[in-house]
Amino acid sequence: MNGFKDPRLSHLKPVPVTAFTTINGCGLGNSALSQAVLNSRSGLGELTVFDIPFATPVGEIKEELPTIRPELVVYDSRNARVALAALNFAEDGLRAAVEAAKSSFGSDRIGVIIGTSTSGLSETELAYQVLLAEGHMPDDFHFLTRHAYQSTPRFLQKELQLNGPCFAVSTACSSGAKAIAAGQRLINFDVCDAVLVGGVDTLCRLTLRGFNSLELVSSDFCRPMDKNRNGINIGEGAGLLLLQKPALQYRHLPHVLSVGESSDAYHMSSPHPEGKGAVAAMNNALNLAGLKSGDVDYINLHATATPINDQVEAKAVFEVFKDSVPCSGSKGVTGHTLGAAGAIEAIVALLALQDQMIPGTCGLQEIDKDFHCHVVKDSLPNQSLQTVMSNSFGFGGNNASIIFSKDYE
Amino acid sequence: MNNHLTIKGVAICCSENDKLKDFGLNGIEVDKQLMPANLRRRASLTTKMAITVATEACKQANVNPADLPSVFASVGGEIQVTDALCLALSEHQAAISPTQFHNSVHNTTAGYWGILHQCYQPTTAIAAVDDTFAMGLLEAWMLLQQQPGDVLLVCYDELWPDYLAPPMGSYALAAALVLSNTATKNDLFTVTRPTLSKSSLSISPALIDFTQRSPAASVIPLLMAINNLSADTVIPLNVNQPQWSTQFGNTD
Repeated sequence: MNGFKDPRLSHLKPVPVTAFTTINGCGLGNSALSQAVLNSRSGLGELTVFDIPFATPVGEIKEELPTIRPELVVYDSRNARVALAALNFAEDGLRAAVEAAKSSFGSDRIGVIIGTSTSGLSETELAYQVLLAEGHMPDDFHFLTRHAYQSTPRFLQKELQLNGPCFAVSTACSSGAKAIAAGQRLINFDVCDAVLVGGVDTLCRLTLRGFNSLELVSSDFCRPMDKNRNGINIGEGAGLLLLQKPALQYRHLPHVLSVGESSDAYHMSSPHPEGKGAVAAMNNALNLAGLKSGDVDYINLHATATPINDQVEAKAVFEVFKDSVPCSGSKGVTGHTLGAAGAIEAIVALLALQDQMIPGTCGLQEIDKDFHCHVVKDSLPNQSLQTVMSNSFGFGGNNASIIFSKDYE
Repeated sequence: MNNHLTIKGVAICCSENDKLKDFGLNGIEVDKQLMPANLRRRASLTTKMAITVATEACKQANVNPADLPSVFASVGGEIQVTDALCLALSEHQAAISPTQFHNSVHNTTAGYWGILHQCYQPTTAIAAVDDTFAMGLLEAWMLLQQQPGDVLLVCYDELWPDYLAPPMGSYALAAALVLSNTATKNDLFTVTRPTLSKSSLSISPALIDFTQRSPAASVIPLLMAINNLSADTVIPLNVNQPQWSTQFGNTD
């Protein structure tokens, strides 16, 4: 397969998604994201949480965020608050679903696996200003609980009083998708009965100025898959999903069929020029689900809107699917939410299944004529979608493609 | 489902290799020549340490690194790179190095490992404070259930700036294991899937002190068991708050 051996022998077992929710620049909850995607309404706008020395639209969360309760104050960060806002959004029922799983299975059997690239970095940056001014970190500096990668999953574990496996996955922009992969494994191999998975990332100076130093940030609204695309807009947000062990009463719910993972082995910040890793991730996902390319009805692209990323992804998608599968990118709506992107865009794919619509590509005006895959510009309601894919590709050449089905009979 | 994983290769290196001798362990020296100059120049100490032990463990296991999925488990990851960037950021107009920025991600070591060996297999980078080794072993175990064969697990943390979480990070340590669920050779040691159960093994004050200085030191009890041939023992995977553990045994 694609010049290297794939020793995987078996298919993964599908696991139901019993609840999911998101917060991002478009607002709080699934319906805000669904409406924004359907109507190509961008959640991008002015950065207000701090200053940076250049202009770029960002997907900033405008909602007031909840406070962390006093017992868990050492976990307090914007990342933790964003996660809590999503968890507590009653309309999507995520917290209630976790509580129900806890009473059914016990806290030892519920895992928390969260992807993040920033964790509490926005607070770390402020602490460094104190360090430089005063020669020591501020009194509320708690590296391991507030700033380090594992802070957000640990916060959620403590907030929900769970006791199963708990870790952060931090593989840059594929983190959220890789967390879903780990969650499916935990259930497939009977370590857990339920796993809270997803991704949480927040705006911070390091990512904005770092991506800007790589000349990957657009000063205008990003234009994924467009012939004039010129870079990313960064966003923040959380996407959280509860995966459970399969059961009869969940057969009508969407299921994770598989997550295909691969490495580019090429460069830290540029994708493999032939899309070798991206092709492998998509093919691995198909193989692990026991599907063929013709079984996929829609692909949510990674589509960051940098010239090279979109070009390589278009080539890779065409290699696997030719022009037969409609595909689109949603970063014109949410911005690139980095460590959360794999989870938030998994939710876009779930909303496509739920609402039976093919999302459009917000920001796209004219499709690059060199792209031969089937890019969708304006959203298409009233579809008949059974199986969808969501792609995430990160720095370090770290790739993941998730396949969901509408239900699983 | 094969619960037992065979340990085919193991290696450790530490900024305090002398102190490792107190636990009967032989730390190897960091081999900076393992990477070509263009990668080496940009790689941090933590990446060089992790790649040193990963290479040695693969050599012992007699496996081709390009064939192995991998798990890179670290609390601080590229903390020196991140620290330098945070210092630069506190000046509003300061330029941020693009190379340092993309080398600050947690999966930098995983990325370099893949580039070095042309490994297209899946790799992940995780963090779990005191449970980082336990969760790394769990993810490695799960990857082998999904894809039977061999897997590489690397647990590492380098020297941290002393204002982050002292004394944490005052020692740098990296350890690598090549684990298999298809090995047929006898006389190899095995571990089971980590479970939530307490080990009765006593932890020496010296080891507790070591672990407070390096989160990666949670690997030491397992490595000591391999050296001491103490089969059929429940080994703690977290020294500070023993909770996750593995059943250590052999293939006989």
